[in-house]
Amino acid sequence: MISDEQVRRRVTQIMAEEFELEPELLQPDATLYEDLGLDSLDAVDMVVALEKAFGMKMTDEEAVRAVRTLGDLFELVCRLKNQQAAKE
Amino acid sequence: MKAEVVVIGSGISGLTAAASLTKRNRQVVIVERNQKPGGALKHFVRKGIPFDVGFHYSGCLGSGGILRVLWEYLGVWSHLRVHPFPSEGNDSLILRNSEKSVQAFFSYERLEDELQQAFPNEAEGIATYLKALRDICASIPFYNLDLSLTPFLRAPLSSAKIGLAPFLTSLTKDPDLQAVLASPAFLYGVPPRQAGLAVHAMVAHAFISGAYAIDGGGQAIVDAFLATLAEAGVDILTGQEVESVLVKENQVAGVKTSEGEIYASHVIYTGHPTSLLDLVPDGIFRKAFYNRIRNLINTDSMFVVFGAVDDPGSLDDLTWVNHYAIPSGLDILDVNLKYPEESALLMTAPGRRYSDSALSDAQRGIILMRPASWDEVAPFSVDSGKARPASYKRWKAQSADRLLDQAKKLWGYSRIEPLAIGSPLTFRDKLGVPGGAVYGVQHCLNQYNPGARTRLSGLWLSGQGTLMTGIVGASLSGLVTAGEIEGLEPLWDEVRQCR
Repeated sequence: MISDEQVRRRVTQIMAEEFELEPELLQPDATLYEDLGLDSLDAVDMVVALEKAFGMKMTDEEAVRAVRTLGDLFELVCRLKNQQAAKE
Repeated sequence: MKAEVVVIGSGISGLTAAASLTKRNRQVVIVERNQKPGGALKHFVRKGIPFDVGFHYSGCLGSGGILRVLWEYLGVWSHLRVHPFPSEGNDSLILRNSEKSVQAFFSYERLEDELQQAFPNEAEGIATYLKALRDICASIPFYNLDLSLTPFLRAPLSSAKIGLAPFLTSLTKDPDLQAVLASPAFLYGVPPRQAGLAVHAMVAHAFISGAYAIDGGGQAIVDAFLATLAEAGVDILTGQEVESVLVKENQVAGVKTSEGEIYASHVIYTGHPTSLLDLVPDGIFRKAFYNRIRNLINTDSMFVVFGAVDDPGSLDDLTWVNHYAIPSGLDILDVNLKYPEESALLMTAPGRRYSDSALSDAQRGIILMRPASWDEVAPFSVDSGKARPASYKRWKAQSADRLLDQAKKLWGYSRIEPLAIGSPLTFRDKLGVPGGAVYGVQHCLNQYNPGARTRLSGLWLSGQGTLMTGIVGASLSGLVTAGEIEGLEPLWDEVRQCR
């Protein structure tokens, strides 16, 4: 099973590649909207990219909407990955 | 040339967006790559018979129906003669495996009676299904005009995550009833196992609430829009292809077409979303958007025979009845079959509903269609405009023969002369959709369809890939995109005043 640390690295890599962001900006306390310059339209693209990379569904819109920082996003993806692993 | 808004594409979404914007006194230009405007609603004529391509019947045209209200608002309703199907009208369904026959009436009460008679032990499942459709649509502003538009557009419905297949199998174990309840999927092009209950409800509810025909079919709708747009001074530039969207300082500046440049501060793109990517300069969208749009799942295509019968009098029962043959269970749109003719089939004759007495019976053609996959024509695919191989013509003729053979077996129509044939290749080239996807991008579970807004200021999307599919969906997408520019609720308020 993929570890939480591996999930974090992969999320960082996806955000850097898919949104063409400088890797040094991608710190856990960076806010998606202010610091990284994403907007609500990018949020859907982000969900689609993460779903594809991790082979899972992020269907809980409230949990996605609650994400403020990259750290929140790490946490959400790790939680969903662990839930998925528990089911399998 | 200058305008306030350029609309790319003159299908029903582009026409609707343009007409909505002219109501707000915007100066609009429509650019259409084909010689004639109208997209899938245009008809074509063979041997004096007009054939509809994309419009066969519609819902939402009764009193208070959203399409009627919208057309009243836009000023096109008065140009049209709309006929409700009489109470005996129905989608007549033959279950291919059991040869059971069910009449799907365009009325909740009559449909429930019919289903209960056909499936006497399934009353509870039937009632639950019909109630679910009504309940879901009561929460959708297009079916409940008291609701505001914005919350629906910005947040998905709670029912959007419920799959159609698990819902239907929880209601009934009878594969024939499952097939009957899933059959509206034919009208939005998503196989039931991939479909969501909410999208299914929107389409099914529209028809169960009443089906309508229009004199002159889809072409009459196009002509009504053209008359209205001409009055408003809208230029429609046909035979011009948009080559790129012009961008200045991260803001739309217009379009470059095959004939020149048109400067505008807003551009509405109504084509298939994937094709937009080639029109926008590099660096505008992020990679994530490109990947998302490129990977959208499309609907499958159709194989269609447009024909004439030598004894048109024998078509009487086709006037207000659409004949479907469907497989049992949830396989209605299964295209990966060795003999695709044995899948779902529709036989319809929309021209017979025209009240135009100048049309003789011999001018009222018959249309046979079945779902088709791109794989069937992939071996014959050449670029649009190039001559197709002789093997394609042979395949087309053989496939048409097999379809006619099925129509004879199922409904006894033995003397249909094919006058034209549409395949996935035809629809790819005529409608400009990848794979000939007649309903465009799938509105299915687990897919995020693009909305009207994009990251590029002044660039907007519309069309059936965005909001909803079919004539109702595409029309509403045109309204919504105009609303995103003009302010959603003020425009919605104006529309609703016409109910």
